[in-house]
Amino acid sequence: MDKHSAPSGTESKTRAAEDMIARIAPAREERIFLLLAIFIGVISGLLVVSFRMAIEWLSVLLLGSSPQPHQPRLIVIPALAGLIIALLTRFVFPNVRGSGINQTKAALYIHNGYISFRTVIGKFLLSALAIGSGHSLGPEDPSLQIGAGVASLISRRFGMSKEKLRIFAPIGAAAGLAAAFNAPISAILFVIEEVIGQWSAAVLGSIVLAAVSSVVVARSFWGAEPMFRIPAVTLRDSRELLAYAALGVAGGFAALLFAKSLSYLRPKLRSQPEWSQMLQPALAGLLVGGIGYFGLTQVMGAGYQAIDQAMHSQFAWRMLLVLALFKIVATTLSFSSGTPGGMFAPTLFIGAMLGAAVGSFEKIYFPHLTGSIGSYALVGMGVLFAAFLRAPLTSVFMVLEVSGNYSIVLPVILANTIAYVISRVTQPIPIFEELTHQDGLYLPSMEELREESNLRLEDALQPVTVPVLQGSETIADTIQSFAQYEDSRTASVVLIHCSNGLWYAARREELETLFSHSTAASSGQSPDATSTDQSTRTIEQALGSERTPILFPDLPLSSALPHFQRWPLLPITNRAMRGSLEGVVSLQDVLNRYQQQRGHSH
Amino acid sequence: MKRRLILRDALTFLSLTLITAILFAVTLFLFHTFATHRQELAQRWAARGQAAIASGHPDQAIVALRTALSHAPGERSYELLLAQALGDAGHTEEAYNYFLGLWETQPGDGFINLSLARLAAKKNDMQSAINYYRAAIYGTWEGDGIVRRRDLRLELSRYLIAHHDLSSARTELLVAGGNAPEDTGLALTLAHLLEQASAPRDALNFYEKVLAREPNNQQALEAAGRLEYGFGHFEEAHRLLERAKHEHDTSALNQAWSPDLQTMLDAAKQILSIEPSKKLPATDRVNRILRARDLARKRFDDCTARVSAANAASSPLQNLAARWPSKEATINRAALLNDTSEQDAVMKLVYDTETQTSQICGAPTGDDALLLMLAKSPKPVEP
Repeated sequence: MDKHSAPSGTESKTRAAEDMIARIAPAREERIFLLLAIFIGVISGLLVVSFRMAIEWLSVLLLGSSPQPHQPRLIVIPALAGLIIALLTRFVFPNVRGSGINQTKAALYIHNGYISFRTVIGKFLLSALAIGSGHSLGPEDPSLQIGAGVASLISRRFGMSKEKLRIFAPIGAAAGLAAAFNAPISAILFVIEEVIGQWSAAVLGSIVLAAVSSVVVARSFWGAEPMFRIPAVTLRDSRELLAYAALGVAGGFAALLFAKSLSYLRPKLRSQPEWSQMLQPALAGLLVGGIGYFGLTQVMGAGYQAIDQAMHSQFAWRMLLVLALFKIVATTLSFSSGTPGGMFAPTLFIGAMLGAAVGSFEKIYFPHLTGSIGSYALVGMGVLFAAFLRAPLTSVFMVLEVSGNYSIVLPVILANTIAYVISRVTQPIPIFEELTHQDGLYLPSMEELREESNLRLEDALQPVTVPVLQGSETIADTIQSFAQYEDSRTASVVLIHCSNGLWYAARREELETLFSHSTAASSGQSPDATSTDQSTRTIEQALGSERTPILFPDLPLSSALPHFQRWPLLPITNRAMRGSLEGVVSLQDVLNRYQQQRGHSH
Repeated sequence: MKRRLILRDALTFLSLTLITAILFAVTLFLFHTFATHRQELAQRWAARGQAAIASGHPDQAIVALRTALSHAPGERSYELLLAQALGDAGHTEEAYNYFLGLWETQPGDGFINLSLARLAAKKNDMQSAINYYRAAIYGTWEGDGIVRRRDLRLELSRYLIAHHDLSSARTELLVAGGNAPEDTGLALTLAHLLEQASAPRDALNFYEKVLAREPNNQQALEAAGRLEYGFGHFEEAHRLLERAKHEHDTSALNQAWSPDLQTMLDAAKQILSIEPSKKLPATDRVNRILRARDLARKRFDDCTARVSAANAASSPLQNLAARWPSKEATINRAALLNDTSEQDAVMKLVYDTETQTSQICGAPTGDDALLLMLAKSPKPVEP
């Protein structure tokens, strides 16, 4: 027997096993999905705690327990660390460049959720070294990628399907970010806003479980205190909102400056020869260290301590502006050089300095207003988050969560909205998207995805111009009624209103066949029916039990598409009055509407 | 096959649990080491900060304490020290905001409220300062609450006095005095502050309490003598000032006797020598009345002459001029000796003359000035 024509015993057993796995796989995956989400959360939380520890250990070891200006190591250490990072990135961990957010998105959309273990290790080590040695980068985005990497690794070990593998990456990302920020809601929202792009009930439960698990782990080590503490904000005078609005405007333009700097410098540096790229992290370290050496040690590293000091009004407003400006410079240098590390912390730093500067200015020139400088710094953080990272919803919740203070919500919403609108107008392409384009990738734009207008049937709805017949009439009466229509000879489709408010869209040929059968039966030419039967039979009886689907104007336009294979025209009815026609749509109407939208979007 | 798959999943979960447990144990161990090291660093820097505050170098303390806090975020004692250092270094606004942040978590803490009160006072935010002082008085203090609260009331009274809210200051001082133990130093402080709060009678009470316990307390004698002199109780003032001078003269301390006190003592002595006290024998009293009448008459004549030269048309002393030709101005010694009511009437004319002429012709000198002081004393004409 030919082995290709008939399976062997082993092959048939394997095939049977595969069939069984395929049969029980969905139920099995569903069962272990939530449990795995908890494990991912716990392990991500532990890794992120270790990551933060590593950063702080390295910082103390390399820069000393109290870095002060004019210490030579402030220049030497970041430069040396940059050199080591460049070598390791080139020869050992080639995929660890960048912040981690775009890399996670790329894993999700291009590599079916695959992130290698080596990348996770590399991200952990090199980001810790970069931030600990004073490069102006943050730990949150790498934490996000570490979490996603853990999720990818675990789900692969469990032999999950390709579809599930893709879902696990955002679950791990949320866990990593939640542990880094000690803020589960913001992490969940950020992953939904920036990584997945839309709300999906299928993954929401798992994302929440993973984020909560990781935060529980992180809090068991670091404590449950919010990251920043400010006094409650009391808006006694609503005119103070003007100051927050001004902060929104300032934040919008600061985000533009930051984004433009990155958009300009990063491709310039990446286009340099290979040997020069090897030196770029060291050079960036030298320059960032130089900024610290000559007085602004605050801009080195993640900068959370300086944010806290700004919130407690320990800098004058001019100093705050200088710090914000030099943080933009330092972060642009560090990030553009390819040093791995995140953008969250620098964004929050710039926002906090800008906010505190506006607050200090207000305190001096409008002392009767009541807002504390801490509240302005906090709102400033949200403002930059909304304008630079373009995550407006996350920006609001992030501020509330990291401060544990709900009283600030009104100024945050106002300032963030203004900054976001300014950023959208001045910088149409969000920075993360710009960075992916620079890397030659075209990942889905989350902002476009969020704002994509979903077409509905009402958008393609056309008035009823075809003949409408009553299904309760006899066929003979129907022939007469149809003949009375002016376009009875040309109409290709006829709508028949059946009992129970249902409709039937009949093609002309179908109707003609029905009429000819009826005429033949009544003249006695047909053997299968008596003339009496034919004279009393209604047209809806003749059409059988099948009816056109019930569609309403608010349903998605795509919901009509599956029905055009069977029906030439679809009646759209009113939800409130059963059977009442709102209009009709044909396949051509639907296609025309989609083409119109495409024309508008281009 | 299904069973094998379940077994495989179970084993994978088991290994995942083991990995998680090992990872947790390793992280816990590393974290413990890390936390211990950070705590050591924090303590070292905090000690430097404290030493810098103690040695009067708040700027160095700020750097050290900020470093300490970066290694032990949220450590309350370091935060309090940093806030204190900021205040000491003159960063009033920063210190105020820092304390405000701490106040959010412990609004009833006495020390935080006191610090905020002092900083608000520095910022000239009087209402906030008073509110925080009051919150500090009623706030929580560890161990020495009673003493702290009393000291705070004294501090608040000083602040109120400095801002001319004398009535509130007096209230605070009386509350503090009401709960005060029998302590000479404290009573002297209270009395001194009450004097500043324009409550001389309450101040005198406290000086008297001191003198009751320590009759030779020179400070109390001087202050009480001065107050009695101010009240017009010249006899009491003279007695107290004499004792004070005696204490001063016998004191081992080589301090100069205040010229003001000497002036008061001399004046009191003089006043007592011309005052027609009812305690005197009738003859002596009448002699002094007649002498006082002569002095007042002369003062009236001089003043009338000066006023007439300046303003011939109408004299502001017309009322007085109408009284001088009356009976009390001309009554003789014999008649006065037998009529005490006339004695009082004569003295009333004398005092009215001294008072009105001082208003028109300026402050008198010599015995006229002493008569005027008697006229202004609470009971110039004794019943």
